[in-house]
Amino acid sequence: MSQTLPLRSAQKVSLTIITGFLGSGKTSLLNHLLTQSGGRKITALVNDFGALNIDSELIEAQHGNQVSLTNGCICCSIGDDLMRSLADIMRQDPLPDHLIIEASGVADPTRIAAYAAVDPQLRLDGIITLVDAAAHELHAQDPYLADNYHKQIEAGHMLLISKPDLVEASQVEHLEAKLRASHPNTPQARVRHGQLPIEVVLGLKAEREIKTTTPLAPHIEDHGLASWSAHLHGNLSREVLAEKITSLTPHVLRAKGVLRDEQGAYALHYAGGRIHFENLDVTPSGHFVLIGKPELPNAEALTNLFQPTGS
Amino acid sequence: MSTIYQAKSIRTMDPHQPHATHIAIKDRHILAVGTADDIADWQSAWGPLEVNTDFAERTLMPGFIEGHAHMMEGLLWDYHYVGYYDREGPDGTIWPGLKSIDDVVAHLKQIQDTRDDPSEPLIAWGFDPIYFQGRRMSAADLDLVSAECPVAVLHASLHILNANNFIMDAADVKNADNSEFIRRDDSGQPTGEFLGQLGMYMAMRTTNLDLLAAASSPKTLQTFSQVARQTGVTTCTDLANPVPEGAEVAMRETVEKDSFPMRLVVAFQGNSLPPEESVARMQALQDKQSDKLRFSLVKFVADGSIQGFSARLKWPHYYNGAPNGLWYIEPDRLREYLTAFTQAGFQCHVHTNGDECTEVTLDAIEDALRAHPWPDHRHTLQHCQMASRAHFKRMKTLGVGVNLFSNHLYYWGDEHRAITMGPERAGRLDDAGGCLEEGVPLAIHSDAPVTALAPLFTAWCAVNRLSSTGVALGGESEKISVEQALYAITMGAAYSLKMDTEIGSLEVGKRADITILADDPIVVGAMGLKDISVIGTMVDGNVHLNQGRDA
Repeated sequence: MSQTLPLRSAQKVSLTIITGFLGSGKTSLLNHLLTQSGGRKITALVNDFGALNIDSELIEAQHGNQVSLTNGCICCSIGDDLMRSLADIMRQDPLPDHLIIEASGVADPTRIAAYAAVDPQLRLDGIITLVDAAAHELHAQDPYLADNYHKQIEAGHMLLISKPDLVEASQVEHLEAKLRASHPNTPQARVRHGQLPIEVVLGLKAEREIKTTTPLAPHIEDHGLASWSAHLHGNLSREVLAEKITSLTPHVLRAKGVLRDEQGAYALHYAGGRIHFENLDVTPSGHFVLIGKPELPNAEALTNLFQPTGS
Repeated sequence: MSTIYQAKSIRTMDPHQPHATHIAIKDRHILAVGTADDIADWQSAWGPLEVNTDFAERTLMPGFIEGHAHMMEGLLWDYHYVGYYDREGPDGTIWPGLKSIDDVVAHLKQIQDTRDDPSEPLIAWGFDPIYFQGRRMSAADLDLVSAECPVAVLHASLHILNANNFIMDAADVKNADNSEFIRRDDSGQPTGEFLGQLGMYMAMRTTNLDLLAAASSPKTLQTFSQVARQTGVTTCTDLANPVPEGAEVAMRETVEKDSFPMRLVVAFQGNSLPPEESVARMQALQDKQSDKLRFSLVKFVADGSIQGFSARLKWPHYYNGAPNGLWYIEPDRLREYLTAFTQAGFQCHVHTNGDECTEVTLDAIEDALRAHPWPDHRHTLQHCQMASRAHFKRMKTLGVGVNLFSNHLYYWGDEHRAITMGPERAGRLDDAGGCLEEGVPLAIHSDAPVTALAPLFTAWCAVNRLSSTGVALGGESEKISVEQALYAITMGAAYSLKMDTEIGSLEVGKRADITILADDPIVVGAMGLKDISVIGTMVDGNVHLNQGRDA
């Protein structure tokens, strides 16, 4: 007798797809995320163990194509094995908080994202596309790969400009301006040696974490980014909130809130243009956090913008 | 035991002696080939030899060699075949083709009503909607089979799956995000059809079964070898297999038995590990080989499929304007792998469907050979369906062989003319004639389970170049003769596997691998090739008779 899985169980896994060409810095970013997980239980599905220089202190055990870490695990899968590896991961008990899939350099990330559409336990947090500042011109004109390259940028919910330190500042600005012109609603950020606050890439931590009022670590500012948090009490309708956040495009990278409106409590996840609401059955803390570019309005303006309309 | 088999006709594929009537076998090898006049000499030199007349009215040929199939063929027979064409199962049962969606549903309903545990998932395969005038299968169709258990129908391409509402509800598909991989009707409702591997994923999640597991289990291997035997195949490839640690030992236990009717050539999936480790794994597999089990090839898949619009085509790309396909390995990465394996001295087989991919692969091979010259590498392009004469000339220069997917002409020929590449390029699809004229070593294949494993049918396709509706693709220059096609499914394939000194023809000293046919293909001629009955095979001189045939 086979058993039917309770696919609609409450626990959800957030899925982040990291895409970008060979050499664009996917592995460095992943390395950084795995060492800075900040209490998240992360499973990473990678193409190639070889390139991933995993901190030996994190490794608990290695078995075949799976490495167990103190804060999660890394699985290796190639090409058409992705489907089976993913099914295996989603059978794990307990499930990870977050699943990161490092797509191959030529993968179509929308194909991978499609799995989340049919798996109620998998929530697509976003597709992060790495754009190599030093190789952009080369890739954009590659006779065999240019179409794939543009497809990946098109699919990205957030564009991370990697290796900005390897080219002239004006060249990076030119690239950013070009991408902004072609993809005005897709937020961008720069990433050097994979260093980026984990909140930007994976989002803010689960509801239970955000309920506490710990202010965001100052490391956000260290990366040249801005953040703002507040307690929003009273009813704040999902539609209105979505509009307010959208009005900050493309300067907002991430938002998360545990709020309520007339329909009840909800969690909001915002990642690079994608807004996702989730019904909650807890008393919401009213906590709300934004991470964005320095161009975000100042704290006073943001407070005015997000002031709840009723109580 | 030493035996002389008398036959009505023996087509040896050996130019020194193309035709014979008697063949002597000793110690798993061919001792002699000739006629009744030679028997006395053989007896005095090597006798006593027993004369066997079981096949006196039959035609013997070198055992057929399938140079591109997948072990999954053996796995799928655990499920229910619902294809449009008749297909012979491993036990010789002919499963009649199902000519409408209603027929498919009725067939599955009957299975559902009579099986032991109707709550188990019901999985079917081989379905192909292109023959149903635009009507697609829906979840409601499959609910007629059962709405109380998972019902999934895998398409012939293996890249599309239809699910019933039981699976759709479990996966909450009605509330799913928009995705181009979920087919929707005009009102935006998901129809139950899923593209890519999405459907298989859902079925696996819903049933908690690994539907593609056990890919090299003894049972799968047995079934695979039985399908091979039914169609006269004595050496078959599994192209490709990641050969996880330990799999080589398990495979060998099954394959080594004399009762196992097939030699198995496993191609190691080269990109299942980074280049250096991959070469090391391949090296470690070398002393795990035997006469019947080989780990001699490395396989790469460089692009997708033409009918799935995932192959990489040169300008003007797809005829219907679909965006160009996908690379499955970056061109630079492919070059890196091919260079590493060329340096280590391993023969590589590369799947290239579209002509752009073929060009890129030839570039990569040329670079690898510049770095590590190797005159007899025999790297081989698999499928290579859109190659032009210029590509074949270049293959000749580089020493590259080709294994064409001739069955495509029949199964997807009409689609290629009308939708994927248009009449001109479809006319030179799988151009075996051009390939041989340019002097490139040729094999032809089925890619089973994508199409049915049956070398005589594949030969028929390459000779006649007719689509399933009878439309001719190309002209005389693309066709090959019956003799050339028979060579391709024996010596041609043996050459592509670097086994042409051991198998592929009936000549002294080679392994006694023989296919026993009811009729002589040379006499039957072009149009009748696919209908010749396969009586059985011999592998290493051991006779394996087919189910449902009289010797």
